[in-house]
Amino acid sequence: MTGPWAEALPWAIVLPLVGAALTPAVAVRHPRVSGFWAWGVLLVTAVLTAGLVSELVARGPFSYGLGGWAASYGIELRFDHFSAWVLPLVVLFVVIVPFSWRYLDHVMPDERRPPFYALLLLNAGGMIGFCVTGDLFNLFVFTEVVSLSSYALVAVGGRGLAAFAALKYLFIGAVSSLLMLFATAQLFVLSGSLNMADVSLRLGEIGGGTAVMVAFAAYAVSFMVKAAMFPVHVWLPDAHAIAPSPVSAVLSGMVVKVGIVGMLRIYQIYFGAEVLELGAFNLALVWLGAISIVMGAFFAIFQDDIKLMLAYSTISNIGYIVLGLGLASPYAVIGAAVHVFNHALIKATLFLAAGSIIHQTGFRTLSDLRGVARTMPQTSAAMAIGAVSIVGLPPTAGFVCKWYIALGAFEANQAPFGFALVFGALFIFIYYIRMLNAFYFQPPVHASVAQASETPWSMRGPVVLLASLCLILGVLGGIPLTFVEPAVLDLLPFWGQ
Amino acid sequence: MEVVDVRPILAPFVSFLCAGLVFGFGRSIFWRRFFTFLAAFIKMALVLSMLPGTLQGVVYVYQFVEFTPGIGIGFRADAYGMFFSLVSSTLWVFTTIYAIGYMQGDRDRVRFFGFFALCVSTTVGVAFAENLLTFFLFYETLTICTYPLVVHAETPEALRAGRIYLTYTLIGGGFALVGAVMTLNAAGTLTFAAPGILGMESGVATLAVIFLCLIIGFGVKAAIMPLHGWLPIAMVAPTPVSALLHAVAVVKVGAFGVTRVIYNVFGVELLRELGFATPLALLAGFTIVAASTIALTQDHLKRRLAYSTISQLSYIVLGAALLTPLAATAAVLHIANQAFAKITMFFVVGAITRTTGKKYVSEIDGIGARLPWSMAAFSIAALSFVGVPLTAGFITKWYLALGALEADAWWYVLVLITSSLLNAGYFFPILHRAYFRQAKEPWPPLEPGRRFETPKTLLFPIVICAAYVLLLGVTAEVPGMPFSVAQVAVDGFFAPVGGGP
Amino acid sequence: MSSWWPGVAVALPLVGVAAVSFGRLTERWRIAALVVPAVAALAVALLIVGDVLAGRTPELFVLRMTPTLWLVLRVDAPGALYGATVAALGLLALVYSFGYVQRGPRWSRYFAFLMASFTCTMGVAYAGNLLTFLIFYEAFSVLTYALVVHEQTPEAIRAGAKYIAYILVGGSLVLAGILLTYFLAGDLTFVAGGFLAADAARGQLLAAFWCFVVGFGVKAALVPLHGWVPDAHPAAPAPFSAVLSGVMVAAGAFGIMRVALDVYGAPLVRALGVAPWLTVIASVTVLLGALLAIGQDDLKRRLAYSTISQMGYLTLAVSLLGSGVMAGALVHLVHHAFLKGTLFFCAGLWIHSSGVRRVRDLRGMGARMPLTAAAFTLAALGMIGVPPLSGFVSKWWLGVGMLQVDAAIGLAVLLAGALLAAAYLLPVVYAAYFAPAGPIAGHAGREAPATMLAPTLVAAALTIVFGLGSHYGGFPLQLAQAAVAAWFGGG
Repeated sequence: MTGPWAEALPWAIVLPLVGAALTPAVAVRHPRVSGFWAWGVLLVTAVLTAGLVSELVARGPFSYGLGGWAASYGIELRFDHFSAWVLPLVVLFVVIVPFSWRYLDHVMPDERRPPFYALLLLNAGGMIGFCVTGDLFNLFVFTEVVSLSSYALVAVGGRGLAAFAALKYLFIGAVSSLLMLFATAQLFVLSGSLNMADVSLRLGEIGGGTAVMVAFAAYAVSFMVKAAMFPVHVWLPDAHAIAPSPVSAVLSGMVVKVGIVGMLRIYQIYFGAEVLELGAFNLALVWLGAISIVMGAFFAIFQDDIKLMLAYSTISNIGYIVLGLGLASPYAVIGAAVHVFNHALIKATLFLAAGSIIHQTGFRTLSDLRGVARTMPQTSAAMAIGAVSIVGLPPTAGFVCKWYIALGAFEANQAPFGFALVFGALFIFIYYIRMLNAFYFQPPVHASVAQASETPWSMRGPVVLLASLCLILGVLGGIPLTFVEPAVLDLLPFWGQ
Repeated sequence: MEVVDVRPILAPFVSFLCAGLVFGFGRSIFWRRFFTFLAAFIKMALVLSMLPGTLQGVVYVYQFVEFTPGIGIGFRADAYGMFFSLVSSTLWVFTTIYAIGYMQGDRDRVRFFGFFALCVSTTVGVAFAENLLTFFLFYETLTICTYPLVVHAETPEALRAGRIYLTYTLIGGGFALVGAVMTLNAAGTLTFAAPGILGMESGVATLAVIFLCLIIGFGVKAAIMPLHGWLPIAMVAPTPVSALLHAVAVVKVGAFGVTRVIYNVFGVELLRELGFATPLALLAGFTIVAASTIALTQDHLKRRLAYSTISQLSYIVLGAALLTPLAATAAVLHIANQAFAKITMFFVVGAITRTTGKKYVSEIDGIGARLPWSMAAFSIAALSFVGVPLTAGFITKWYLALGALEADAWWYVLVLITSSLLNAGYFFPILHRAYFRQAKEPWPPLEPGRRFETPKTLLFPIVICAAYVLLLGVTAEVPGMPFSVAQVAVDGFFAPVGGGP
Repeated sequence: MSSWWPGVAVALPLVGVAAVSFGRLTERWRIAALVVPAVAALAVALLIVGDVLAGRTPELFVLRMTPTLWLVLRVDAPGALYGATVAALGLLALVYSFGYVQRGPRWSRYFAFLMASFTCTMGVAYAGNLLTFLIFYEAFSVLTYALVVHEQTPEAIRAGAKYIAYILVGGSLVLAGILLTYFLAGDLTFVAGGFLAADAARGQLLAAFWCFVVGFGVKAALVPLHGWVPDAHPAAPAPFSAVLSGVMVAAGAFGIMRVALDVYGAPLVRALGVAPWLTVIASVTVLLGALLAIGQDDLKRRLAYSTISQMGYLTLAVSLLGSGVMAGALVHLVHHAFLKGTLFFCAGLWIHSSGVRRVRDLRGMGARMPLTAAAFTLAALGMIGVPPLSGFVSKWWLGVGMLQVDAAIGLAVLLAGALLAAAYLLPVVYAAYFAPAGPIAGHAGREAPATMLAPTLVAAALTIVFGLGSHYGGFPLQLAQAAVAAWFGGG
């Protein structure tokens, strides 16, 4: 019982990957064309994913066997509720790319655009693949596609520190990849299969055991690194701050979520097998999440560079998600799952707005950017909405997640973590209020700030659109919830403490 | 009787839309004023159009969205919400007129009027919130929307005040959020209901934590001591802001929240059983006296008014915490009574500052001759705070004291009397200076061509609000006046336990 | 019986307030706008007296504020008596003030507040329930502040501050009493004989009673609550001192009367056992006030202490709860108003024409200002209680009433008070007539202009008229007896 859209599932991966490969060829004569090309490819991909999601809504999760092989032997693609994440992901790409058209003018010479957009498409394709793949080996492959393209995107900005940041990212990423490879191999050896559903079944037959646990642990650590959780976060701030802003938006908003979606995938395998006692692990997640929230906020407070501050706040927000997962109560997990998307949206808003401001004024520290709201009112307003949203104040998208995670904390009888969550968020606001004060309520110190003009529409449009979405999803927060709720409720019975 | 109707959501939406239009087209003075007034009047009309129904016991509801089952945004115009929204939408009209006069020539007026409208929107949203989540949503939004108004002057002092304001209110908001979440967890619902939604089965300890969280959360804005520190400092805001926000919107939202918690989350019966309200009442009593005492020592006019506000707000809290119908009547009524009287005072102080540049009590000797109408209005408001009969304040005091007697807590009568005397102690010297002292130097004369002591746009709201203070005291009984709405509201609170006012 | 007249009487002085506050009138028209309503108010008050004597009770429902709070004017015999006194003394003081109060920016303010206080005092007289009473009582207390500080000298401002502090505390206690009363009875309307139920909680009844006594006692200048009186009187302009002493201090005593007899009722007061305490307080007030008066050199301050002493009689009478003594008290209320009015008018004349404030400076003034001195002497004798002047009549009835209830102590206090009155008033008379002329009298002015002298002489003449005509119908005694009949049943 599959509908017409189900057949399109592989195309959603293939399209961006092929598009990436073709980019240099398309743009051979006019490098700037690469930007429009990438956008076009993403637009088509977005339509495809929208179709996939409509299929999911209409008929529930579905699979596609590559090359006509049945599941468990061939390569299976599976589209379930967590996979629905690809739709907002691609949509965000579609919004971010137009922003980059003009933004890149100052960042790189025109001839470096085709590789840039190729990498971006590769990154998108990798993430789509990661979300819809049904077997473990491809999970690893797509992780690597995403990671490698990310390293390159950080470096593509090309200035002095970029290479260093990319290198740091690369080294730590490599360790994580090795761990993941090891875990994949371990599971293959144990179960004789790579198909997730199959592995899950066979693990159930084998029962628990140290080896099974070790594989789980390896996966967990690997994904934690990808998600930049405290204390394995060290690679993130520099990489995200130094990358060009559209890349920062992609990295902070989406690439780190690979770690989270990965965790959920592994949960699906292990929960299906019922071989895992998660109590201690959940407790660890809860603590690490809480510490991430506080430490992220703490580091952010001392930053003067706006992008660095945004990078640190990613650590805090990943903390929310992990805390939510660890709490393992329905509301908390729903909240965490929704925050995967909402945080991407908010962070994209913030990074693009920050990028606009840096682009127009040439400054990136708070003390230099005083009074910028007078000359760039719309961008600053977007920044303000993003700030309010990331702190989780109503009526913004961030609030919905905070509400559900906090609710989950009390539901799970973990009141102290509820308090930590709510007040940790306020702690973050200390920084943002400084930012808003500087932008709005202090006189400019630099002429270039006082005389800056608003960004061109190709940059402003995406920023304004994203900021509006932050507000709209605060009020209509139920929409993303309806997607994750069934998936979470499927998993939950096995989750418990 | 509940009727599904869009008006409870339209009312906050109108001023939200107005804010958008002001931000969009506000550079033109004409359009800015046009949109602001249009929205103010439409909103008032919307609220008023629900009044007849409310008086007959109709409750208008509108479920907006639902996130997950049982958790969503909904609007519900019950009598208490109607009362509050009537007060705030009426005063929005007057404050707008006043603000146009007051802010003349000021910079950033687009921002000012835009956020002003947003604040009103959220206040009415709070009034019509059907459940704690919706309430909290608007409550926090109000916090944020007020910030640009508090720091409007953009001086270091204003920024500092803004920081303190946010620190207090956001931490309070955090407690409110925790309280709301715990309520949902304990009760399984967030929808305000007359007998309350919590029950003994949740356990006394949990209930105590919920009560504490919610009261701290809303108590910050209601400026219950020791959570009041932000209010006097926030007085650096322009006077219309101090007037509308620190007499009506922000602080009343807090008091409104406390009342909602007491009557619609916990409910009279449960609280009587638990006895949590008693310490709250004691705290309110303490605040009433202590804040008034501090007010005696303030020379800055607006700070004196701020401490007076702190004291007066606790009348509402005390009234709610006494858990008797008469005291509840006083609590509800005082939302209007205090609002009109205090806004009059702020308006007058603003007019003094705009006309003569004076900001301190010690500087206004003999100003009664220069600003006779304004000072007359101020006197009326002062008499109301002292609780002289025929003014609005007397009605509050009367019902509150009777409520205290009804609750067998006669010492609150003493508290009220002490407070009245202290009110006299800090307002009458102002009147004395204004009327019975010689001006140290001649007041600046009227500008040529001016017929009134101060610009019309300042004087008109002052006179209307002062007149309304009298009207509230004299004709409270006329149907459609706040008193009748308050009675319906209180009947609702106490219907489950029997016995109305 | 529903009637507009009480409302008219109360509202008429407001015409004057409006005229001097807002009207752009010439001075002549302003004076007319003040005098005509005052005369009219007196006429209406007398009309109402006629009505009441005919056995009717004019009543005007004014306003319902909330379902349980309303304002009503209702004139019974004591109210009519007090109202007429207020109207008459108010008119005299008003006319006197035209001469006394200097032209200038504060002229309008003085008259506006005087007329407003006039309205409120009429309101106190005609109030039909405790709430109405309280409103007018508080309002005139607050409005009076402007008159006390009229001179705006440092002393006046200090006296004003003291006055307002005392009065507000008193007013608050009255309010507390009213609250308790409402809480106990669910009603506030005066009923001759009281409306509080005897079976209400004794503690609350007592608490309310003492709230009332202390609250009204401040105004009635009961010792030890009298502190404001000796300061406020010398500071205020003389015509206002006259009104203050004559009718406004009496308002406190009137309040105590209302509470004891129209709220509690004599049997309940007896049952509560508070009457003896009140007797003690009142006696101390009478004696201490008089003793302190003797030592005062400032004439107006001496008269102020005299007021404290004389008003003590009223409370004393209430505490004895006898019909005769209450009749005497009501008569005394009226008579004292005009006696004390005369005395203050005279003191004002001396201040106005010669700047003389101290008793010792009065030496020889009898010759320079014979009419003034004569009026003063007449009133002083009346105050002491020399027959056939009005003071004698009231004290006679007081004394007779005390004998009726076997209150020997009361009688002793009464007599001692009279003796002491002689001791503090006769030296003034002596100084004016018989002492060798002092340094000031030599260059002192002559008699004051007619606008001031005439009211003084009229008030003095009333001393004789009330003394001689006290038995005739329409005079205070008849009304007082009607009142007592209602309170005590048959009398």
